[in-house]
Amino acid sequence: MIKSPSSKNKPGNVVLELRQVVKTYTSGNTTFNALNGVSLQIREGEFVSITGPSGSGKSTLMHIIGLLDTPTSGDVLLQDRNISRLNETQLAQIRNVTLGFVFQQFNLLAKTSALENVELPLIYSDVPRSKHDSLGIEMLTKVGLQDKLRNTPAQLSGGQQQRVAIARALINDPKIILADEPTGNLDSKSGKDVMELFHHLNEVEKRTIVLVTHDMDLARQANRIIIIKDGQINIENV
Amino acid sequence: MFNLKPSIDVLVKSSIRSILKNKSRTILTSLGIIIGVTSVILLTSIGNGLKVYINQQFESLGANTIFVSPGKIFNDKGGFNSQSGASRFIATTFSLTDVAELKRAIRGVTIVPVAASAVDIKSSKTTKTNSSIVGTTYQYGASANYVPSNGNGRWFTKDEEDKKADVVVLGNGIANDLFPTGSALGKRIIIKSKNMKVVGVIDKKGSSFGGPDVDQYAFVPIGIVFEFNGNQNVNQMLIKTSNKDLVAQTKIDVTKFFLKKFDKDAFTVFDSSQLLSSINSIISTLTIGLAGIAAISLVVGGIGIMNIMLVTVSERTKEIGLRKAIGAYPRAILVQFLIEAIILSCLGGGVGIILGWLGSLAINNFFPAQVTFSSVAIAFGVSAAVGIIFGVAPASKASKLSPIEALRYE
Ligand SMILES: Nc1ncnc2c1ncn2[C@@H]1O[C@H](COP(=O)(O)OP(=O)(O)OP(=O)(O)O)[C@@H](O)[C@H]1O
Ligand SMILES: [Mg+2]
Repeated sequence: MIKSPSSKNKPGNVVLELRQVVKTYTSGNTTFNALNGVSLQIREGEFVSITGPSGSGKSTLMHIIGLLDTPTSGDVLLQDRNISRLNETQLAQIRNVTLGFVFQQFNLLAKTSALENVELPLIYSDVPRSKHDSLGIEMLTKVGLQDKLRNTPAQLSGGQQQRVAIARALINDPKIILADEPTGNLDSKSGKDVMELFHHLNEVEKRTIVLVTHDMDLARQANRIIIIKDGQINIENV
Repeated sequence: MFNLKPSIDVLVKSSIRSILKNKSRTILTSLGIIIGVTSVILLTSIGNGLKVYINQQFESLGANTIFVSPGKIFNDKGGFNSQSGASRFIATTFSLTDVAELKRAIRGVTIVPVAASAVDIKSSKTTKTNSSIVGTTYQYGASANYVPSNGNGRWFTKDEEDKKADVVVLGNGIANDLFPTGSALGKRIIIKSKNMKVVGVIDKKGSSFGGPDVDQYAFVPIGIVFEFNGNQNVNQMLIKTSNKDLVAQTKIDVTKFFLKKFDKDAFTVFDSSQLLSSINSIISTLTIGLAGIAAISLVVGGIGIMNIMLVTVSERTKEIGLRKAIGAYPRAILVQFLIEAIILSCLGGGVGIILGWLGSLAINNFFPAQVTFSSVAIAFGVSAAVGIIFGVAPASKASKLSPIEALRYE
């Protein structure tokens, strides 16, 4: 592995590791290997981007890293814990506390205020209710939406909606942020704002970030690029 | 096990919000439950009203009255004897000697013999065929609470009884039938060619359901009925104790007295409370049966709830996927949708209770109906249970969705 010279962070311990992960989709009697033996390590404090052509398996890989899906074979280790031994409830708790997921489609609850959307992960956590609002406001302030607390998604621009989604991903103070094409539905200005936010989260708040994008310019902003092709890691590079 | 997250009030709040998002659908969905609960409340209120009404009727008979009747009236469980077996038909009648001996054996009580007959009664206006005529003593009016109220005449006297005087006391109903216009009091009627004077008209008593209709009786001195019947058989005896604490012991004494003369199945000694509890048990059975039939519509309502919850779950698959992606564990999703189903059916139950209550108020104008707290509690409990039972399938379906498949759902 070649370390990026531009990196200001010293990558630490391995927080996430995939070993020979295969994901096979079966429809009817045809099977398709969306991932074909992927092994990778992600260290604490890294900013990694995953890129590759459409249909190469980026989202599939991201879902497995994010514990939203389980591999057909192979192991996923999160902070040295093999997650194949965990049940649905334990996985949900990890998704709630350790991981923060940002989607291309934002996935905000309709007719629900920005503040309530941001606070949603808290209702499944141990954070006492009295702290929910102050935490929600803090997160929305961090993404620059402190004056849009009561706006519903329909009353926000696309870029603002994605920032609400990022605030939601941050509310439980996760170690790892996973973002699948977070700028895919945004214009270039909003996309730039979102990328700046990720840099801030990585460089200032020392969070580990995994970003999926098919935009090479965005991918190059990371410490490390993983290029995936036909379900296999093609190049792992700066 | 960990504590419930999210807490119930968060879940209830979000359920109410999602129910309110689809108001017309909520109303249509709850209709089955509403109809079911309304009919259960209405039917039980009618059953209960009936019971209260009959109890009041019996209270007017007095709690210190004991009846002695031929035949076996009650079965061993306290219900009415339904056996049409021999014992009911080898009906002993009592004789005047029995009455006299009983009077001697048991002191301090009023013993009133009753003999009955069915005859035609004519007034100047009309004829009532096959009417019940009851021959009894001067004491019966007071013992059975049948003394005409002020202005409506009187019961016949001991003197009139002894002389078999041609006097009659009419029930309210038959009095009106015989004299549709004006009062029957003081008028003359013909009973089996005997010209008799109406000396009293009893206040309206109302018929006890299934029981004899006192309002249609004509009461005359017992000797007159003996003459009509051509014998001196006594059909029933009424025993009035001086207070109701003596009822139990007197019943035992009376039973002992008759056991010396008759087989145990040939006569029945009972008091009004016994009669009442038998009637009550019949009404209760009837009410439960009717309410049970009405409860079938609750099942139909439950299926409606299940249907709409399944629709809700598939409509909100994406939301479920998102919630799971950010940390909702399966049970949290299960509880969320279960609570929504329960709220939906309890909402229907609540509306049903209000409608049933209003309905029973309306019915009460022409038929006794009275909503009981227990029927409200049961109706509410049942609708909550319906919500749970029919909400489990959709909720468990939601909780088992894979987060990523749910998120991808279009
Ligand atoms: N549920 C599924 N069933 C069958 N095949 C699937 C399923 N999900 C993904 N695939 C297939 O797996 C492959 C990888 O899909 P994936 O979504 O990971 O691609 P991607 O790299 O994210 O592409 P894009 O850049 O367009 O988002 C594709 O060929 C896709 O058709
Ligand atoms: Mg993708």
